[in-house]
Amino acid sequence: MIPKEWSERLLTAMINADRTGAAELIDKVLVSGIQPVQVIADILDPAIVQLGRLWEEETMSLAQNFVASKIAEDTLLRCIPVNSINPRTKGAVVIGNIEDDFHSLGRKTVGLFLSAAGWEVYDLGNDVPAEELLEKAIEVNACIIGASAMMQTTALNIRKLRQLIDDRGFAGRIKLAVGGAVFNWRPDLVAEVGGDGTAHNAVGADELFMRLQAEAQREVTP
Amino acid sequence: MNSYQRVMGTLMGQPVDRLPVFAVLGAYGGKLTNTDLRTVFSDASAYVASQQAVQSAFGFDLVMTPFVYTAISEAFGGETAWSDCQTPNMKRPGVRSAAEVLTLPLPDPYRTGRLPVVLDATRRLADLYKERVPVIAVLPGPAIMPSLVIGMEQWMETILFDEDLAQKILDHIAPFFVSWANALLAAGADCLVITEGMASAEIAPRAMFAERFLPLLTATFAQINGPKVLHHTGGRINHNLDLFPGLAGLVGVAVGSKDDLAEARRLIGPGLNLIGNVDNLSFPALSGDTIYEMSQACVRAAAPSGHYILANSGADIPLTTPPENLRAMLSAAADYSVEIASRL
Repeated sequence: MIPKEWSERLLTAMINADRTGAAELIDKVLVSGIQPVQVIADILDPAIVQLGRLWEEETMSLAQNFVASKIAEDTLLRCIPVNSINPRTKGAVVIGNIEDDFHSLGRKTVGLFLSAAGWEVYDLGNDVPAEELLEKAIEVNACIIGASAMMQTTALNIRKLRQLIDDRGFAGRIKLAVGGAVFNWRPDLVAEVGGDGTAHNAVGADELFMRLQAEAQREVTP
Repeated sequence: MNSYQRVMGTLMGQPVDRLPVFAVLGAYGGKLTNTDLRTVFSDASAYVASQQAVQSAFGFDLVMTPFVYTAISEAFGGETAWSDCQTPNMKRPGVRSAAEVLTLPLPDPYRTGRLPVVLDATRRLADLYKERVPVIAVLPGPAIMPSLVIGMEQWMETILFDEDLAQKILDHIAPFFVSWANALLAAGADCLVITEGMASAEIAPRAMFAERFLPLLTATFAQINGPKVLHHTGGRINHNLDLFPGLAGLVGVAVGSKDDLAEARRLIGPGLNLIGNVDNLSFPALSGDTIYEMSQACVRAAAPSGHYILANSGADIPLTTPPENLRAMLSAAADYSVEIASRL
């Protein structure tokens, strides 16, 4: 079986929320002789991209997306031994729910997908003050802060983080990604809170972060 | 015709003088009385005063008892995060592991934490508005309620990866759902609005809802002695509408702003009521004229079939919403009713 066919089967397992079936499938893939790196690149990644498309079509639920993120995590752990250096590390990023926001599920799913995609993720949790997010980003040399909020009232707290990044002169070096249910319902809110970009779902986070990283690199190295 | 007669007439499919209108303004009432939200949701008299202010300012056709789910999460040992600009949120659940839920005693609606405050406010509102304005009480559905005990992530993980434990938790919590619902009715609520997140397309697929949660709704609704509205909880619900007719005491469904109202009517049949569905997030950002147009669009799609109440779609309307945007909803309903009357 070629990787494309394995990837389609993995996607089916994700859609059916079949974590056990997905794990068995990945075992079979590895037994067949496909290298772990190729499993990630040619089987997991394309399945995630397709998953994102289905989310865009509003045919996927949070439950299915949650299982998919767990499958992605399982696959990653299966293919990359613990404590090994991930050759695909894309860089450090900091994520957290902004001050007063306690809706963690979406943020954690984003963290899982970003980790699966090769990012070094520093997840600061819920109700994180703007200062803490920026300080951590500076400390770990992150080029992106991902701020999550589910509700409009808490999303507006991201404006403080935008202001802080600008006031301290990091606007070029540190990009601000914003996300959460409210941004899907009101896309204009991204600009209103000063976000540099958003993704409609956790699956799209990697693509967004890649774009923002490239923008940061262009601005730091003209 | 007063609001009570108007709403009851609509629910029963009888002619009314104008289309009933409702907006979720629990926290907004605190803004009107200049009371901090911690007081509004912790002091029955402050809450009642805030809803009296809402009635005086706008005259919507329903009055809502405290829509404060942290009273439930606190009753299970959780911690609350208070804010000046939004209704309180659960900061930390009462227990960390799903299995611990089975060891928790169930809260007593009349004794535990702030639950008695909610009941007290319900009683006072019922005394004030009995048979003048219907009093509605909002509570979480039995399948989403465990998320208030262990947090959404833990609950989702349990549902998806430990089906047996999830079922035990549902069975453990269900008696509290029933006792809380019946306590709200006994305190004077005319109708319950049950927000069942698992019925939302954004949360769970239809098959999962139908197989694992609908039987629970069927069993628990039969034990609650009053009319009920099922609420979409912020997402879409049309994909499940055909499953709801026949649920004991169900009089209507509140649909999401992305649900098509005409399609909703086709799916649910002619006899049940539809409520909605002006987009919540539009209220603070758009002009009164735009809210009027959005409301008119809802009315034209749903009112001709009867059994319809115009309402915002979602939870509390943001505090930054200008009053004229709320009045635009009322104007849209009134203008439609005048237009219909002029044709007769």
